[in-house]
Amino acid sequence: MKPLSPEILASLDLAPVLDGLPLGVAVLDRDGLLVTMNAALERLTGFARDEVAGVPGRHVLRSGLCHKRTAQEGPADTDIVNRHRRRIPVRLHSLPVNDASGEMRYRLDLVEDLSALKALERRLEEPGGVGGLVGKSPQMERLMRLLPAMAQADAPVIVIGETGTGKDAVAETIHKLSPRSREPFVRVNCGPMSPELLEAEIFGRRQPTGEITPGAFQRAGAGTVHLSDIGELPEALQVRLVQFADEGLIRPVGAAMDVRSQARLIASSPVAPEELVRAGKLRRDMAYRLGALRLDLPPLRERREDIEFLLAHFLELYAAKFRKKVEGFTPKARRLLLSHDYPGNVRELRNVVEFAVMVCTKPDIPPACLPVHLLGHLGLAGAGGE
Amino acid sequence: MRSKRVLIPLYRDEVAPRFDLASAALVAVVTPGEEAIPTTDFLLPQPSAEGVCDLVLQKDVDVVICGAIEEEYYHYLRWKRVEVLDNVAAPARVALERFAKGALRAGDILFAKGGSDAR
Repeated sequence: MKPLSPEILASLDLAPVLDGLPLGVAVLDRDGLLVTMNAALERLTGFARDEVAGVPGRHVLRSGLCHKRTAQEGPADTDIVNRHRRRIPVRLHSLPVNDASGEMRYRLDLVEDLSALKALERRLEEPGGVGGLVGKSPQMERLMRLLPAMAQADAPVIVIGETGTGKDAVAETIHKLSPRSREPFVRVNCGPMSPELLEAEIFGRRQPTGEITPGAFQRAGAGTVHLSDIGELPEALQVRLVQFADEGLIRPVGAAMDVRSQARLIASSPVAPEELVRAGKLRRDMAYRLGALRLDLPPLRERREDIEFLLAHFLELYAAKFRKKVEGFTPKARRLLLSHDYPGNVRELRNVVEFAVMVCTKPDIPPACLPVHLLGHLGLAGAGGE
Repeated sequence: MRSKRVLIPLYRDEVAPRFDLASAALVAVVTPGEEAIPTTDFLLPQPSAEGVCDLVLQKDVDVVICGAIEEEYYHYLRWKRVEVLDNVAAPARVALERFAKGALRAGDILFAKGGSDAR
C-alpha cells in the first residue's frame, strides 16, 4: 500500500473520526505520554483529554497491565479502574504507528468495553437457566434452548403466557442475548393509555418547533421495543406496526415523512394471537407477522416439577437479600406450598417466598409465616405450628 | 497539629496508577513545621488491594495517597477512618511534598506535562 505523504496526513482532521469510533482510542507518543484520546475513552475513563494530555498513559488508562515494564502488543483481556472508582472489564489492543522508515512514532491503545459481554457470561452461568429465567422442567429447558437462537434473528417475536409466567423476563432475555444487547431495551404497555398518547409513546411526536419528542422506537435506536398486551393496541396503530414489520419505517405523530428504524419488535400477550384475531382485537396481517417467532410460556401448574426448584431458588435469593439465616421450609409448609395451584404463576410464588422469608425468625419457615391469603386459599386460615 | 502517617502505593518512584497492583508502598511521617519527611519503603509479598489495606492498618496510617482505587476498598478505608486522596497522578515525592504543604487534593495531576517526570 502506498504510504500517505506527511502533507496529506497533516491536512486530515482525524479528531472527529476518532470521536466517531465506538472503541476507546488513546494516542501515545514513543515515551508513553498521552497525546490525545477519543470521546469513547473519555466516557470510559472519566478523564477529559485536555486535562491529561502529556501525562503517562498508565495514569489515564489505569489498566491491569499498566504496572508492566513493557507495553503489551496484541489484544489482551484485562480491566481498568476509572475515575469514578469503577472496575470495567476491557479488551486492550496496542498498535505501534511507524513512520516510513519503520521507526515507531506513536502507539495506539484501543480499548473495548467488555462490561455487556461479561454481564452476559455471568447471566448464562447463573444456576437454573438462561438470564433471569429459572426452571428445570422439560418445557422450560426447551424454552431456554430456543431463546439464544431467537435472539440472533431480527424478525418480530411474540411471547404468549398467563400473568406472572415471565413474559417481560423472556423479552428482556431475548434482547440481552442478542447482538443488540448494548442498545436500549424499551418496554411500552399498550393497556392503560389513550390511543393518542400511546401513538406518541410508541412512534414519537414531532413538535411545532420541528424537534422530535422520542417515542419507544427513537429511544430504542438499534435496540429492542417490547410492546406488552399487544391485544390492547388500537387497530390504527397495528397498521403502522405492520408497515414497520414490512419496511422498517415509522412515522412520528405530526411528521410528514416516514423515518427508518433499526429496532427489533417483541410483542407479548396473555392471550394467543389466534384468539385475539377471533375476538377482533388483533388484525390478521399483524398476527401473521408477529407469529414468525412465537414463544408459549407454560403456566406453573403445568410444570409442577419446577415449583420445588423455584421455592429453593427464591428462598436463597431473599435470604441473602434480607440477610436472614433461613434455610428451608418445615415439612408441613413445604407440602402446602407444593399443593397450591399458583394462578399468579412464578410472580405469585416469588411473592409468597419473599413474604415468608421477611417475616420468619426461624431457620425453617413454618406455615404460620406463609401469607394469610394463601392459607385461606388452601382452607388453612389461622394455621400455625410446624 | 499532630504528625500524620501517610502511605503511598508505589510504581517505580510514582504514585502507583492502580492501588491493587502496587507491589511496594512508602510510609511517611509528615509533621507540621518540619521540612524533613522521614520515609520507609515496604515490599508486599504480591500485589493486592487487600495487602495494601492490611499494611495501612498495621502501620496505623492516617492518610492514603493513591491513583485508581475501587469503590469497595475506598469505602473500607474510609470506614476505618483513613483519609483517602485518590486519582492522584504524580511522582511520589512531589505528591508527598505537596501534601506536607497542605495543598494536595484528590484528583491532582502533578506530572510536568511532557517532561522527564513522565518517563
